Amino acid sequence: MIQKKICLMGSFAVGKTSLVRRFVENMFSDKYLTTLGVKISKKIVNIQLEDVTILIWDIGGEDLFPQTKLTYLRGMSGYLLVVDKTRASTLEIVIDIQKKVRGTFPDVPYILLENKTDLTGQWDIEDSTIEKLRHEGWDIMKTSAKTGLGVEEAFTCLAAKMLKKTIT
Amino acid sequence: MENISVNKMSDKDELANLRTLMLAPEQSEISELKQRLNDPRIRAEELSRVIAEAIVMRTTTDQKLATALLPTIEIVLRDVVKKDPKFLAETMFPIIGLAIRKAIAEALRSMVQSMNRTLEYAFSWHGILWRIESIRTGKPFAEIILLHTLIYRVEQLFLIHKETGLVLQHAAADSIDVKDADMVAAMFTAIQDFVNDSFSTKEDASLQNLNLGELTVWIEQGPQTLLVAVIRGIPPQELRNMLQEILENIEFEYGLAIANFEGNAAPFEACKPDLQYCISQSQQTDSGARIPVKFSTKSIKQNTKKNDGSWVFIIIAGVLCLIIIIAGIIFSAVRW
Repeated sequence: MIQKKICLMGSFAVGKTSLVRRFVENMFSDKYLTTLGVKISKKIVNIQLEDVTILIWDIGGEDLFPQTKLTYLRGMSGYLLVVDKTRASTLEIVIDIQKKVRGTFPDVPYILLENKTDLTGQWDIEDSTIEKLRHEGWDIMKTSAKTGLGVEEAFTCLAAKMLKKTIT
Repeated sequence: MENISVNKMSDKDELANLRTLMLAPEQSEISELKQRLNDPRIRAEELSRVIAEAIVMRTTTDQKLATALLPTIEIVLRDVVKKDPKFLAETMFPIIGLAIRKAIAEALRSMVQSMNRTLEYAFSWHGILWRIESIRTGKPFAEIILLHTLIYRVEQLFLIHKETGLVLQHAAADSIDVKDADMVAAMFTAIQDFVNDSFSTKEDASLQNLNLGELTVWIEQGPQTLLVAVIRGIPPQELRNMLQEILENIEFEYGLAIANFEGNAAPFEACKPDLQYCISQSQQTDSGARIPVKFSTKSIKQNTKKNDGSWVFIIIAGVLCLIIIIAGIIFSAVRW
């Protein structure tokens, strides 16, 4: 069985934790996010008939990504960046985080998740901004923790990207 | 006659001329090649162009190069030390300092623990019995005390890849409620990072000990891995030494596999017996009664043979005493 470590990052209250809660094996309570700054859960996905165990390091949401949090990223094979589709500021923060992370982990695959897509009337992030990022090479998927839309796909997609990296 | 020999000569000349005409470029090539083969400088230059690649290729096929170079390297090392011992000493200094400090700290800890126990039991009834046992078996008194008093059990062992926090191998004692080893190991790594970051420790400092009520968590750090032991009770220093040995063996034998670890823990299946052995050495009996459990270290194993011999002596001594006493009684009876 292959194991991989991934990190889950994004601004405050974008729904990172709710995104994973329903779809992963949980052991630790959310209080670790405020105390340790990280909470770990586990998800098993199936890629090409092979089970991959993903250890998910949910890095507590903050608007500034302090240097100390970078230590938690050590050894990760991929990461997910989560934004709140109803708050455009969360995207700017995530772009900033990605710049910082890319400096230390240039070749690590990642996916941007637009969360809270179920709140269709309140979308605040422009499609054009998303398209621009896509052109720059970003992989972007829509998700909703409430309805479950896109969550399984997001993990499976990231796992596939990580395995491709290992094979090459 | 002359004509014939002249013809022959001219045949030879003609042949030579023909050869030169046909093979002039090849002849000059051959003489150039001969020159290259005979000139050591040119040969050395050509070899120097390919020698690095050749060595790399050879090392990927087999170990013969290492074996072939061994005598040469031995001579080189010897010469280096002879010529400039200071250079070697300076190079080794950072490692030696650390190793010595660690060794001294461990020895002191071991000594203090041993002294504490010895003082506690030196003058009790048990102490006297154990002193007899110590003389009989040849084991140090302190060790006998440890064997009889420490009650502990290694419940779980984790071998964790430091960088990713992923589990390379895990073993647990029977009837232990094992929570998800993957998540526990990852969280543990996070805690280590957290402590290091928040409390600005020195570069070489590492988390070694966690205590919570009855639980003791011991952490052995290797260059690439952690060995984490979850222990219930009061563990002896010998257990710490055993954990160190296990970790050192694993880092040595599996060093390359660990360096290349990308999530596949299959190469580390073979580590499980070592971890299982460590746990089984400290099992309680099934009755669940809190009886002292024995812990065997290598030194105890070596002394076991001596043990058997001593028993024979005691029996012989006992029989002799009995004979003397009986003889004495008969003697005095006869006297009467």
